[in-house]
Amino acid sequence: MEQAFTRNFCIIAHIDHGKSTLADRLIELTGALRHEEMGQQVLDSMELERERGITIKAKAIRLHHKAQDGELYRLNMVDTPGHVDFSYEVSRTLAACEGAVLVVDATQGIQAQTLANTYLAMEHNLELIPVINKIDLPASEPQRVLEEICSVLGYKAEEVLLISAKTGEGVPQLLEEIAKRVPPPSGDAQKPLRALIFDSRYDAYKGVIAYLRVVDGRISKGDRLRLMGQNTEIEALEVGFFAPGQSPAPELVAGDVGYIATGLKSLKECRVGDTVTLTVGGATEPLIGYQPPKPMVFAGIYPTLAEDYKDLREAIEKLNLNDASLTYEPESSPILGHGFRCGFLGLLHLDIVRERLEREFNLALVVTAPGVKFIITLTGGEQLTITNPDEFPPPEEIEKIEEPWVKISIITPSVFIGALMELLTESEGKYKHTEYLGQSQTQSELGQRVRLEYEMPLRCMLTTFYDQMKSRSRGYASMDYEFLGFQPARLVKLVILVNDVPVDAFSRIAPPQSAQAVGRAIAAKLKEVIPRQLFRVPIQAAVGGRIVAREDIPAKRKDVLAKCYGGDVTRKRKLLEKQKEGKKKMKLIGKVDVPKEAFLDILKLG
Amino acid sequence: MTQDIALYIHVPFCRRRCRYCSFVSYAHRQTDIPAYVNALKCELEQRANREQVGSIYFGGGTPSLLPAEILGDLLAAIRSLFDLDEAAEITIEANPGTVDRTYLADIKKAGVNRLSLGIQSLNDRELEMLGRIHTAAEAIDSVKAARNAGFDNLNLDLIYGLPGQTMKEWQMALSGALALKPEHLSLYALSLEEGTPLYRMIEDKQLPAIDPDITADQYELSENLLTQHGYRHYEISNWALPGRECHHNLVYWHNQPYLGIGVAAHSHIGNHRFANTSNLDKYLTGTLLPEMDEAISPDLELAETAILGLRLDEGIGVDTRYQEQVEELTAAGLLERAGRRVKLTGRGRLLGNEVFWRFLPE
Repeated sequence: MEQAFTRNFCIIAHIDHGKSTLADRLIELTGALRHEEMGQQVLDSMELERERGITIKAKAIRLHHKAQDGELYRLNMVDTPGHVDFSYEVSRTLAACEGAVLVVDATQGIQAQTLANTYLAMEHNLELIPVINKIDLPASEPQRVLEEICSVLGYKAEEVLLISAKTGEGVPQLLEEIAKRVPPPSGDAQKPLRALIFDSRYDAYKGVIAYLRVVDGRISKGDRLRLMGQNTEIEALEVGFFAPGQSPAPELVAGDVGYIATGLKSLKECRVGDTVTLTVGGATEPLIGYQPPKPMVFAGIYPTLAEDYKDLREAIEKLNLNDASLTYEPESSPILGHGFRCGFLGLLHLDIVRERLEREFNLALVVTAPGVKFIITLTGGEQLTITNPDEFPPPEEIEKIEEPWVKISIITPSVFIGALMELLTESEGKYKHTEYLGQSQTQSELGQRVRLEYEMPLRCMLTTFYDQMKSRSRGYASMDYEFLGFQPARLVKLVILVNDVPVDAFSRIAPPQSAQAVGRAIAAKLKEVIPRQLFRVPIQAAVGGRIVAREDIPAKRKDVLAKCYGGDVTRKRKLLEKQKEGKKKMKLIGKVDVPKEAFLDILKLG
Repeated sequence: MTQDIALYIHVPFCRRRCRYCSFVSYAHRQTDIPAYVNALKCELEQRANREQVGSIYFGGGTPSLLPAEILGDLLAAIRSLFDLDEAAEITIEANPGTVDRTYLADIKKAGVNRLSLGIQSLNDRELEMLGRIHTAAEAIDSVKAARNAGFDNLNLDLIYGLPGQTMKEWQMALSGALALKPEHLSLYALSLEEGTPLYRMIEDKQLPAIDPDITADQYELSENLLTQHGYRHYEISNWALPGRECHHNLVYWHNQPYLGIGVAAHSHIGNHRFANTSNLDKYLTGTLLPEMDEAISPDLELAETAILGLRLDEGIGVDTRYQEQVEELTAAGLLERAGRRVKLTGRGRLLGNEVFWRFLPE
């Protein structure tokens, strides 16, 4: 087929705006699968993805569309991850396309990720086709959303399509518009091979499968290939595309989207964003600068039962095969035993990894408070990179601390501005600017929609920020963030002492001005969750040797079975056995028995 | 074979279930009493092996719902089947709302020589909260009736640590009970059992939660007050004038053999502890299939002997294998040495479970 009739496009949307449903409808309408063959949603293959309504790993499907102009078009639909944590992967996906369908929910309008994705698509010079989805819902406000798209994104009303991916209304028209508006790929099949890897996954039989967009040249089965960024040499063991099943093909040529089986054993050797060329007679310049995504959020993952450590290690190794952005290294804690310090792209990524470990590998886990990476310059000039608060040096040895900052963008109805600004300020955010989105004629009682832009330390986004944002805006606000870089910080390590024993698992990194409040909250919570012991237990929060908060757990006074006669002996002995078992399940900190739940409760404190 | 045992007879009938009770008892089944007594006699016949019996205890439920002549009947059956000691202690638990002077005189005549009256409180508001069927005045009257009927060995049960109960209220209850000059007092901290109405009332916040520290203070107050009045604190929850300890219950605490007759009754004979069915209808069919039967290993036997024995003021002689526990608990102030024996300290009596579980075998 001629390059002139190929269209490479992706669908971009805020979470839950209907991206996967639309993809399904396109697959069905083009006849790649009949309705009864459709799974729940073809592109979201992981159970977890479906439940969370997001797509974690991008995939590509080849569709055929007979357009009204009489031509048969080859449409390569590339799926994009729907969450800000995976923005690196999104940008690689966009780089593989010439066009994008921008889906906006008719009941919600433009959300933070709609904007972020739009800007990304514009940066990549993509032809954007805005569609307003879910027009079948009674609560939909297509007119208001249309005005918003026109005024915020600068489209003309006639350029925007109204569809319902669920009922299929307007979707045939969308197929026509894709064929009409998305430009054909411009590469040259005669030039040396250059193909962009926009996704990869691990297959137990074929090794790493790399999804790629051939920009120039061609790839045939058996070609010796080189990944330019990582300098990995491979052989194309298999070449093909998905339609939607895996379809081997003799070759992929410039303009095509497809896959190659590499036989590689690890995704780390075949990272997204790299350029593939031929080992002999290859290109000299990569398509785009290759930079592997760096983990931004760190947490310790421990098995609840020490004997599960081996299982946890195997589970993380397996997960890592298909999720190269997850990093891990063994660590041990005197309290939690042996586990791993893991690095994640963001909080959602952490959540997904935790859930997959628990669900797919049936593990009970303790996950420590998520933290960021700190760059610490010591008074001696030496620089440390720290991802675990335990490693924080004593204050007198610290010359300078730097921590990652993000630019955060929140879109909210204007009535919640005050509450959200308060939250942002509490979260050490710095105000940048406010932008009113469009001049809506149809005023809702929540007021106009506004975009707030702040800069804040990533650290402050990690615990309760998202939940707070949602609760303070009654669920209306949406957010997006991008990494800004490292900035100097004033921070202290807040040490929590239980019966005079410092407990790293409870410790926090906090700005000095809030250390006392945080310390008080932790001490109060611990007083609530640690059962009374045979002696008084002081709980103290300290900053560099100075106690900033204290609670005492009074000694237990009464714990005795009032009655024990002939008929009670067996039952009461069983109670005592339970008490003995319960004691065994506690973590012994110094002389104090601390229930496992206490660690989770402290994490939840934020 | 003659072996000295204690005999327990369970009477599972109640006029009404108390709000805190989780024992096996049946309200509105009093018409089954005659059939039940027959089943008891059958069981006695089957279990009896002419053992020497040192004490009999009718517990419940409400044993005082048994008519005096039936009680006499049962005692006669026991006398014919066992070798009953001349001086055997024969106790019956009685609900003050079910007895009068005549009844008490009749059961005294039948051979009952010790009466345990469940007065529980001397405050009508508390009695109502507990769901008792009698008032404080009726409780006091029942004590007078018992004295008139000739009972000279009298126990009173009282409950403290009630939801919202103040120190003052408990002191009033205790003083009231002391004024009745019982030979024996059992003071029980209310133990809130899941599934009881009282448990739910606290869950639903109809009643305040129980403050364990106030309960502990009330216990200490009881110890002081009763000691002043000449009672010996011989078991965690039991006080007696010298020589008036309950022989039957001492058998349990000394981990000696006992035979339990009746629905849900437990027995400990040889190295077995077993329990009858707790289903009244099943029991009435005459089944003696145990609902529970556990073999007590020598290790467990030793541990149980220690755990039960430590409830007593006399403490226990210590097996060397418990050296480690004894040292740890002595250091923690929960145990103390008394000559060659060890016993709970004052603090240890309130934290008995922390002591006991440490004696359990691995």
